[in-house]
Amino acid sequence: MTAASLRGKVAVIGIGMSAVGKVPGRSPLSLAAEAARNALADAGVAKSEVDGVLSSHAFASPFHRFSVAFSEYFGIRPTFSNTLQVSGATAATMFSIGAAAIHGGLAKMVLLVAADNLMTGLTPDLALRSLTESRDQQYEMPFGIPVANTFAMTAHRHMKEFGTTPQQLAEVAVVHRRHASRTPGAQQTTPITVDDVLNSPMVTTPYHKLDCSLISDGGAAFLLTSADYAEGFGIQKPVYILGCGECYTHEHIFLMPSLTATGAVESGRRAYAMAGYGPAEMHVAGIYDCFTGTVIMMLEDLGFCRKGEGGPFVADGQTTYGGTIPSNTHGGLLSFAHPGMPGSLFHFHEVIAQLRGECRGRQVQNARLGLVHSLGAGFATNATTVLGTKDTL
Amino acid sequence: MMSPEDAARKPLPTPDADTVAFWRGLQDGKLLLQHCRRCGHVQYYQQTTCRNCGNDELEHRPASGRGKVHSFSVVHRAPGPAFKADVPYAVLLVELTEGPRMISTFIGGRPEDVTFDMDVELTFDKVSEDFTLPRFKKA
Repeated sequence: MTAASLRGKVAVIGIGMSAVGKVPGRSPLSLAAEAARNALADAGVAKSEVDGVLSSHAFASPFHRFSVAFSEYFGIRPTFSNTLQVSGATAATMFSIGAAAIHGGLAKMVLLVAADNLMTGLTPDLALRSLTESRDQQYEMPFGIPVANTFAMTAHRHMKEFGTTPQQLAEVAVVHRRHASRTPGAQQTTPITVDDVLNSPMVTTPYHKLDCSLISDGGAAFLLTSADYAEGFGIQKPVYILGCGECYTHEHIFLMPSLTATGAVESGRRAYAMAGYGPAEMHVAGIYDCFTGTVIMMLEDLGFCRKGEGGPFVADGQTTYGGTIPSNTHGGLLSFAHPGMPGSLFHFHEVIAQLRGECRGRQVQNARLGLVHSLGAGFATNATTVLGTKDTL
Repeated sequence: MMSPEDAARKPLPTPDADTVAFWRGLQDGKLLLQHCRRCGHVQYYQQTTCRNCGNDELEHRPASGRGKVHSFSVVHRAPGPAFKADVPYAVLLVELTEGPRMISTFIGGRPEDVTFDMDVELTFDKVSEDFTLPRFKKA
C-alpha cells in the first residue's frame, strides 16, 4: 500500500471550538469537552459513535495522557487513542494519523481534540518558562534561549541573506490583525499599522512584541470518518483530506541544516504530491504564524512565492483577499488566538469553514482547495495538509 | 509545573552519560568536539555514535575556539525571571572553524556590536562550583 491511497478516503464531518481568548476559571479538559461537544453537534453525531480520540498535550493540565483523561471526562470509551507530541506541528499530524487510522481500520469515527489555557491557567512568567523548558536543558537552556529566540535567529538570517526588512515582517502582523477584525471571537481586533509593530517593545531581535503570537486560552475539535461513512450519515458539506506530508530535519537549532530553508519544502512536496494539486491551485491557506517571519519563510518553502521573495509578497497584499493566497483569514496565532499546541487547530477550523463557505463577511469566494501548514520547535517539526471539497476529489 | 522559586534560578545543565566528559572538559578549559576516526565528521552535540557514518569510533579533541557568528538575536525580554537582570544580551549561533555550530552568548562587549559573520573567540565562564559555560567574545 502506498501513502497516496489516503487521498480523499477520509472526511472532516464536524468542527467545533471552545470559548477562545481570555477564558478564566476553566480547565483544559473543560475547554476540550466544550469544543468536542460543538464538533459532534455540528456533525449531528452522538458521542457514543466516537471510537477514536487523538489529542496533544496541554501545558496547564496535569495529565500526560490528555486523550485518555479527556475520554474519561467526556464519558466515552474509545478503542483507539493517543496524545501526540511534535510541538506546533502536532495539529496537522492529528489529521494525518487520524485519517490513517480510519483508512487502516483501527477506528471508524475519530475525534481530534486539544485545548489549553496558557493565558489564565499559568502566570505569564511560568507560561514563558514552560515554553523555554522545551529547549535542550544542557546545550540551550543555560544560555537563556527562549523559543522566540530560536525563530528569531532564522528570521534574522533570512534578512541577512535576502534583504527582508523589519517593515515587511511588520506587514504580516498588520494583515493578520485586519483579518481578525472580521472574525467573531478573535482575541485582538484593534487595527494596527507597520509603525505600531515597529514601535512595540523589542522582545528578541528582530522581533517586537507585535511580531509575536498571542498567549491565549481555548481549544478546538474535529470529527473524522471515512468518506463512505460520511455519505451514509448524509453529511451536507464534508471536507476531504487530500494530502498529508511531514518532515523532521533536526531537534536542535544548531543542527538545523539551513536556517532559511526548512522541512516545509519536503512536507509540502509530499502533501501536494498525494493531493495531486500544487500551490498555484490552492484558494486559501492556514500558515503557522507563531512569528511574522515564520509566515514569510513558509510562503516561500510551500511554493506560494520564490525563495527570498516572501517579504515583498506579503507587503504587496498577496496573502489577503484578492491576492495570490488569502492566508490566516481568521487572524492566526498573531491575532485570533494562540493557546499553545492547539493553536494550529484554529487554522484548520478556519480553512475547513472557508471550504464549507461558512465565513460570511470574511469568506474567500469559491474556495474549494485549502492548505494548512503546522510547524514547531524552531522549524524542527513540519506537517502539511491539503484539504478539498467534494468536487476536488 | 515549576514553582516561582525554581523559575527565579538560572538553569544549570544536568550532565548525562553522553556528556560527563564534555562538561568536565569545560571545567578544564577545553571545549571538546567529537571527531570520527572513520569518516572525519566533527560533532559538537555529544553522543556515542557518529551522526554521519554511524560507527562509534569517536575521539575527543579540544576545539580551536575560533568561529563566526552565523546568526544571532538580542534578547530584550528575558525567558523567565532568572534572566531578567541580564537583558539585553546577544544569543549567538556560532559556526566553529571545525564545522559544527553551537548556541552560546556574547560577552565582553555590547550586544549591539554583534554582526553577521563576525569572528569570535571562545572564552570560559565559570558560573558555579561545578559548571563552566562556553561563551564567545569578539576575536
